[in-house]
Amino acid sequence: MMIIETCKKYLRKTYTEFATHVYDIPQRMLALLILIIFLTLPYGGIDLLKTLPWLTTANIMAILAVSWDLLVGRTGQMSLGQALFYGSGAYGTALLFTYLGWPLWASIPLSILFGTGLALIIGVPCLRMKGPYLALLTMAFPLSITGFLYYFRDIFYGETGIPPPRAGRLPSLFPYPGRFSLFDKLIADYFLSFALMFISAIIIYKVATSKTGIVFVSILDDELGAKACGINVTKYKLMSFVISGIFGSLSGSLYASLQKSLANPPFFDLLNSVIPIVATILGGIGTIYGPIVGTYIYYTLDKYIFHYVIPLDKNMRLLIYIVVVVIFIIKWPRGIARAIVEKLEDLQEPREIEEIKKENVRPGE
Amino acid sequence: MIMPLLEVENLTKHFGGLIAVNNVCLQVEEGEIVGIIGPNGAGKTTLFNLITGYLKPDSGRIIFKGEDITGLPPNKIANKGLVRTFQIVRPFRHLPTIANILVALQSNRGRKRIEWIKTPERKAMEMLEDVGLSEMMMEPAENLSHGDLKRLEIARAMALEPELILLDEPFGGLNPIETEYMVKSIQRMHLDGHTMVIVEHKLRALMKLVERVIVIHYGEIIAEGTPEEIGKNKKVIEVYLGKGEGGLDARS
Repeated sequence: MMIIETCKKYLRKTYTEFATHVYDIPQRMLALLILIIFLTLPYGGIDLLKTLPWLTTANIMAILAVSWDLLVGRTGQMSLGQALFYGSGAYGTALLFTYLGWPLWASIPLSILFGTGLALIIGVPCLRMKGPYLALLTMAFPLSITGFLYYFRDIFYGETGIPPPRAGRLPSLFPYPGRFSLFDKLIADYFLSFALMFISAIIIYKVATSKTGIVFVSILDDELGAKACGINVTKYKLMSFVISGIFGSLSGSLYASLQKSLANPPFFDLLNSVIPIVATILGGIGTIYGPIVGTYIYYTLDKYIFHYVIPLDKNMRLLIYIVVVVIFIIKWPRGIARAIVEKLEDLQEPREIEEIKKENVRPGE
Repeated sequence: MIMPLLEVENLTKHFGGLIAVNNVCLQVEEGEIVGIIGPNGAGKTTLFNLITGYLKPDSGRIIFKGEDITGLPPNKIANKGLVRTFQIVRPFRHLPTIANILVALQSNRGRKRIEWIKTPERKAMEMLEDVGLSEMMMEPAENLSHGDLKRLEIARAMALEPELILLDEPFGGLNPIETEYMVKSIQRMHLDGHTMVIVEHKLRALMKLVERVIVIHYGEIIAEGTPEEIGKNKKVIEVYLGKGEGGLDARS
């Protein structure tokens, strides 16, 4: 009887927790994501076969950028090595699929666990460092791991990367029999990646605005002050590192399975550490919703505007969109997404302070 | 025998060739309010840093509630109930004022204390009301004035419900009105039964508050006694005003 009572109590508690905290999706986030759907639909109208792949990529990269924002924008732990999580997620999925033949729905969670373990192992020595030293150390890890991949060539296949066992792509998460066309697969991939991006962003936003998230910001603002408040700073830094690792490796394993259908050394490229940074600074550092907007801007410029609308040479493209990004950053130094949200909030009717106070009074006081 | 709340035994700290704290012994009894004074560079803040674990002493022991806490990290010492404030305010600038206090309530000690209240927000609001900051509750801490930040610093320390609180220059940079307010809130805290050690330069405000004064010069304790005794102590006057017959004239 005791056990049943305990179970009931636990269930009730979980449900209350869910109803009050998890289910209550932050409005800003919801509005933004709906906006993105509406904005991306027109692209689809132009040429879906060409646009859907990079929209899927943008969704996946947005997860990586949001995870970087939690670590750097909210906790203040400068990391230049987000590619480590990205690559380890990709390799984890590919290894499990190639050698054990595991289906994707099982190998993606396991490779996330693998990435989390890696974050824990690397986080302990890393977080003894601060500022630029931490940044350089985190940058060194993805670069050095490539050498490891080349050395154990018979396991990791060196430069070519781990190929799928049969010729062709890694299978999609959805059953993919013959009557589905490539077009259907692209749409399925897009919505799958979008849903996962949505869920990850909401979870990270929830973490960032929870009490734990408040402690993260206190570490960003003043580490000594946080220590004086009795906060175990190392524990919270490690927590942030691990959460960042979870979503970083999720994004890597998604990219490997949905887009590349293999895992190769370029996953550990410096570019994969830099894109989240550019995206976050474009969108607004520390906002969590900013990096999503930033990633979309980056990919729209790189893969759409300077690819189809104004076709440019690859090197020229790089130069021009760097100029565009710099202009954006000068115009909106605190991030374009943050600027938009602040503009929208200014549009609301000004309210009396008394009114706000009345709303905040809790019942039973 | 009643054990003193805090006992510092032969504490010494060198910075290279400089002896910042030299063989300091002091005791703080429960319910007491002790002032530590001394000229600039006397080693008062270093002493605080040693006691709260921000620096490791070269030799000596620190005993809090009968427990050796020498060499423990600052957060563990804070969780034991020995909390400090800083001379230069250290607010969490991006967070709203109320969240500054929620951070303290999120520590192990804070969580233990608020278990039965269930709403840390309400507890944080009470802490803010105590120091008169409830108006600024949702304001980011970076918008607060220096005087408000000093009070926030104290509210944050008090949120941990410390058994001993070390205040490092609580009146530093405050105008006379703010100083008066601060003196009153410290007196109120003392009446509530809090034990305090205060380092301060504003002697007039300090002497009104404390029961016992310890004078430090070049890292050594040179005098100890009630405020009246210290005011008459020749050695202390010498340290503050200089030697020689012209010493008192130079002041006028």
